Parts: sequence; structure tokens; C-alpha cells
Amino acid sequence: MKYTTFKIKRLVIIVIFAALFIVSLLIGAVKDVTIKNLLTGNELAWQIIWVSRLPRTLAVILAAAGLSVAGLIMQAISRNKFMSPSTAGATNAAGLGIIIAFILLSTQSGIIQTLFAFFFSLISTLLFTSVINHLKVRDAVYIPLIGMMYGGLISAITTLIAYRFDVMQMLQTINNGTFAKIGNFTMIYVILIPLVLAILFSSKFSIIGLGEDFSKNLGLNYNRVVFLGLVIIALVSAASYTAVGPLPFVGLIIPNMTSTFYGDNIKKTITDLMFFGADFVLLCDIISRLVIFPFEMSVSLTISIFGGIIFMIYIIIGVKRSKQTKIKKNHIISTNDKEPQVTHD
Amino acid sequence: MIQIRNIVQSYGREHVLDNISLDIKENAITALIGANGAGKSTLLGVASRLLPVISGEVLLDNINIKSIKTREVAKQIAVLKQTQSLSLKVTINELVEFGRFPHCGGRLKAEDREKIEESIRFMKLNDIRDKFIDELSGGQRQRAFIAMILAQDTKYIFLDEPLNNLDIKYSVEMMHIIRKLVRRLNKTVVVVLHDINFASAYADYIVAMKDGKIINQGSVKEIVCCDVLNNVFDHDFNIIEHDNRRVCLYYGHNSHRHGENSHIHEENKHCAKLTNSTNQQDVLSHDSTREDLKTNKNKMQEFFKFKYFADKFKSKKAASNSNAKKFS
Repeated sequence: MKYTTFKIKRLVIIVIFAALFIVSLLIGAVKDVTIKNLLTGNELAWQIIWVSRLPRTLAVILAAAGLSVAGLIMQAISRNKFMSPSTAGATNAAGLGIIIAFILLSTQSGIIQTLFAFFFSLISTLLFTSVINHLKVRDAVYIPLIGMMYGGLISAITTLIAYRFDVMQMLQTINNGTFAKIGNFTMIYVILIPLVLAILFSSKFSIIGLGEDFSKNLGLNYNRVVFLGLVIIALVSAASYTAVGPLPFVGLIIPNMTSTFYGDNIKKTITDLMFFGADFVLLCDIISRLVIFPFEMSVSLTISIFGGIIFMIYIIIGVKRSKQTKIKKNHIISTNDKEPQVTHD
Repeated sequence: MIQIRNIVQSYGREHVLDNISLDIKENAITALIGANGAGKSTLLGVASRLLPVISGEVLLDNINIKSIKTREVAKQIAVLKQTQSLSLKVTINELVEFGRFPHCGGRLKAEDREKIEESIRFMKLNDIRDKFIDELSGGQRQRAFIAMILAQDTKYIFLDEPLNNLDIKYSVEMMHIIRKLVRRLNKTVVVVLHDINFASAYADYIVAMKDGKIINQGSVKEIVCCDVLNNVFDHDFNIIEHDNRRVCLYYGHNSHRHGENSHIHEENKHCAKLTNSTNQQDVLSHDSTREDLKTNKNKMQEFFKFKYFADKFKSKKAASNSNAKKFS
């Protein structure tokens, strides 16, 4: 890819991000928050921005960026484009962790909840990846399928426990992904830790994405980097689940779309990926706030609709492309393709 | 210097490598040959520390490779396995940059960039350096991976079946590149080869493996002879010599024609003069086919028939292609 086109794409995504950011701040039930009022220094408008709108918008951005990064790392580790925290049981395990924290301690302290969620999520993904490695499943479609069944199992256990301890209402509340919980966003800032970690180690994750032998050849401690990746995934899943609940498809489609637009060199694309994810979820959030204005619907609903459509498109393209490459391969074997020959000495 | 000492490696109960010792010749191409499952790739993996061993040791300059930091080993030994993922959208340029990882840890310095430029130029990839590797043809892709390994700047290069999926033209090109690495850049190359004729034509030293053991090693002259190869591959070989190079005919049913060797030899020389081509590999395979057709037409037809059905089972598409080619 030419460097200039790459730069243009990066610029476009940032401009869209800025626009959505401002729009997101301006939408809400209080009519006083307008650009004009903000510029003239209207106190009420600014107060609403600081107390309500900005935390919400930041939560959207951080959750989106975090889930996108978690999905990207998951896909790099498993070398499977259909993997994400939600297709590996990480999200479901975070839910289980929160429920157990609630039953054991019955406090609502965000930090405790996040810690429990993180712990369960990490153990769950570790278990899943080691089982997958032992099974030696190579078919790209089976691994996420197994992951989804595994996630379903964890969810079922969670529901069972919730029934047993009579906390079904709690379960329903946390299972509903929304940005409408005012003032409950503190835990979302935890996502900054995995985001920074992911950027710092991005070049190692790019190499991991090329395979175990490839990484070992380049002197990379494969297992250590994979473990770090799983920690990042668990942290993101836990923090985002505690703060906003499950956001489906984000970890799945955003890395795929970034790969299409920018390529797979994680070191180069990781910031673009974060902006891209933020753009997508900001847009979905704005839509879910406008549809039944001044009320709003759950953002996970909007994400599911758009994400589902995009994911379907990707599956169709994927199937078509795999057919094409098969034909292409046969073509290469059967005919000499034209290409400048290397001169020999 | 790499020395392999009493290596044992097994998958489950079965020994894949059975007490193997080998000194790798410096500044030369060593070819590992043998039937499927003889342990060639496993030996390569063990020698390049990709695979752990059950017992024995690999010494790099007299130090056990296990006790050296993996990043340091990566500056000495580069290995290219055939299991590269091909669908990733990484440009050639980025791939070659990865090769500098052991030296710079991901942050490229001026000397790293210099090395990257050098490798890309050496492999003549400058025009296509911004292409994604999933857009490349098999030959280009293989060159891109070699460029990455060149950027890694190691003394030892291990290649696992680099000719897989390459047609004749690119296979020959790849072997020329490998020879250039040794002659010009003073690398030491160990390469697993399936086609004994490529080993015969390009290797300096051949190591023949069977059932997890090294059963013969030596120069091309010592290894490429009927007695040794018949044993290595459990197959009847017929070897002809041309311009001091030995070429194996292994297409079956040739054992009774030993007496005609000299005749074929003369005929080949004649043909080579006529066509006056520099590409021996091409001329020889072509001529031997013609010779076979002339003297043993029925046998060849049988062979083609067999191959036709084998291909048909593999893939309908490939079968129809080869069919059209062979009989047109």
C-alpha cells in the first residue's frame, strides 16, 4: 500500500471521529447544550457537558477502542479472523465473575467487580486457548464455534447460579449493554491500561500473528507474548463489561474491517483500529439516542443490527474469496505467470 | 559452527529422530533428503531450536543452544518453515522489517533500514515492495520470505522444502538464489529437498535420512549413486551423468535398462549440443522424457495413465489441465 493513501485513510477516520465526538456531546434531552451556548460560556451547558455528556462519550470511545484492540489481539493470537473476546468465552466469563462478586460480597464497588470479572475472564481464556492448542483444531470455522458453545456453557452456569441465589434481576441489568448509566463509568478508565500495553507491545503482536514458528525464528518468547495478550483481552472484557455491559460484534468486525482497509501490520494499524472502533460505536450510540428521542434504546441493539449486517457481508466475501484463491492457485500451478525473472550469476 | 549431538526426538512412542549426530558444513549448501516421514523436517526444526528435544544437544559455536537467549540465537540462525500463513495482509516491506526484530526489537534504526534496503535489492523486490504477500505468486512470495531472512542477517539459514508449490522455473530460480547466498554472502544453508535432482544439481553436501536415522552423508558424488539412493528411498533409481552432474530417473520400471545407460548418455550429450541451452535441468528432463518415449513408449503411456488418474483424484481442475497439456 502506498504511504500517501494510508495517510489519507488515517486522516479521514480521524476527521470522522472528531465530527462524531462533537455530535455525541451535543445530543441529549437538555436543549440548552448548543455550540452557540458553549462558545458564549453558558454555565449550565458546560456543566452538563462535564458531568454527563463527556463521561458518556469517553466511555463509548474507550469501550469501543478497548474491545477492538482485544478482538485484534485475539485474532492475532489464534490466527483466526472469526475470533473475538465474545467468541472465546471471555465476555461470558466476565459476566460470571460479576455475578459471583455480587453474591459473595453483595457490594457494588466497581473495582471489586472488575477484579472478579478480570480474574474469571483470564482463567477462562487461558483454559480455552490451551484446550484449543491441545485439540490441534486447524479449521478456521470450528474454533469460534467451539468458543461460542463454551461461552454459552459459561452463560448457562451464570444463569443457574443467578437463579439459585435469586439475583436474576442483577443479571439482566448487567447483560444489557448501554451507555445510559450516568456516573457509573469510572471503571471504563481501567481500559486505558490494556490500551497502552497493546500499543507498547504492538510490534510483538504483529509477529505473533504470523505464527508460532515464525515468532520463534525471530527470537520472540511466544508463550509470554500470548499470555500478555490474554491479560489485555481479559482486562478489556472485564472493565467494559462492568461499566457498559456486553457490546456484541465490536471485537469481531472492527479488526476485520481495519484489516481490509489498512492491512494486518498491527504495529502500524493499532491506532487506526482504535479510532475506527470508536467511530463505529459512537455512530451506533448516536443512532440509538436519536431513534426514540428524547428516550434512548440499548446501544447493544443498534450495534447488533449494524454489526450483524457487516459480519454477514464479511462471511459472504470470505467464502467468495476462498473460492477465488482456489481457482487462482490452480491457475498458478498450471500456467507460468508473467513476472520479471531474477537474473542468476 | 553448528554441531548436533545424539539427538532423540519422538512423537508419542515412536522415535522420529533416533540418536542423530551431525556437523553442519560451514559456507556450503547441505541438502537433507529422504522419504516422507524420514525425519528431515523434524531434524531441521530441532537444529534451529523450533522443536524441543528429548535428549541430546545442539551446539552453536560449542555452546548448547538451549543456554543461549532466544533473541541471540535469532541473530545466528534463521529458519523458514513451509507453514507460513499466506492470507495475511502484510506488505513485502513490512515482512522484511520483521526480519530485523532480533536486532532492534521493533524500533528500526538507521542500520536496520539499510539492511532492509539491501535485502530487498538483493532479492529484486523493489518494484513490488508495497504489495501484500497474499497478492503475490508463489515464486515472489518465497523470495519475499528469503528477503526477510536476509534482513535477519544470520550466518545460518535453514529452509524447509523451499521448492514446495513452485513450478520448475521458480524452483530453479530459488536454488540459484540459495547458491548465491552461499557463494556471495558466505551463508551456511541447510535445506530440506524433496526432489533428489535439485539436491544433486545444487547441494555441496547431502545428508540422507531414513526412519529417523542418518544413513549416509557425503558429497553429491558419494550420495547420488544407485546403491545409496535405492536404499534411502526404497525405490529403483537409474542415474545418468551429464556435464559432471548426475540426474536421477526414478519414474519406475527402469531397472532392466541399466545396460542402455551409455547410450542414453551419448544421446543426451548430442541433444544438449543441438539445443545449446544453458538450463540443464530443463534440457535433461525434456530429453529423458523423449528418450523414454522412444524406447519404452508403452511404459510411459502407462505412467501417464497412472498419473492421470492420480491427478484426477487430487482435483478435477488440475487433472483436466494436465490432461490437455500432456495429450495435446
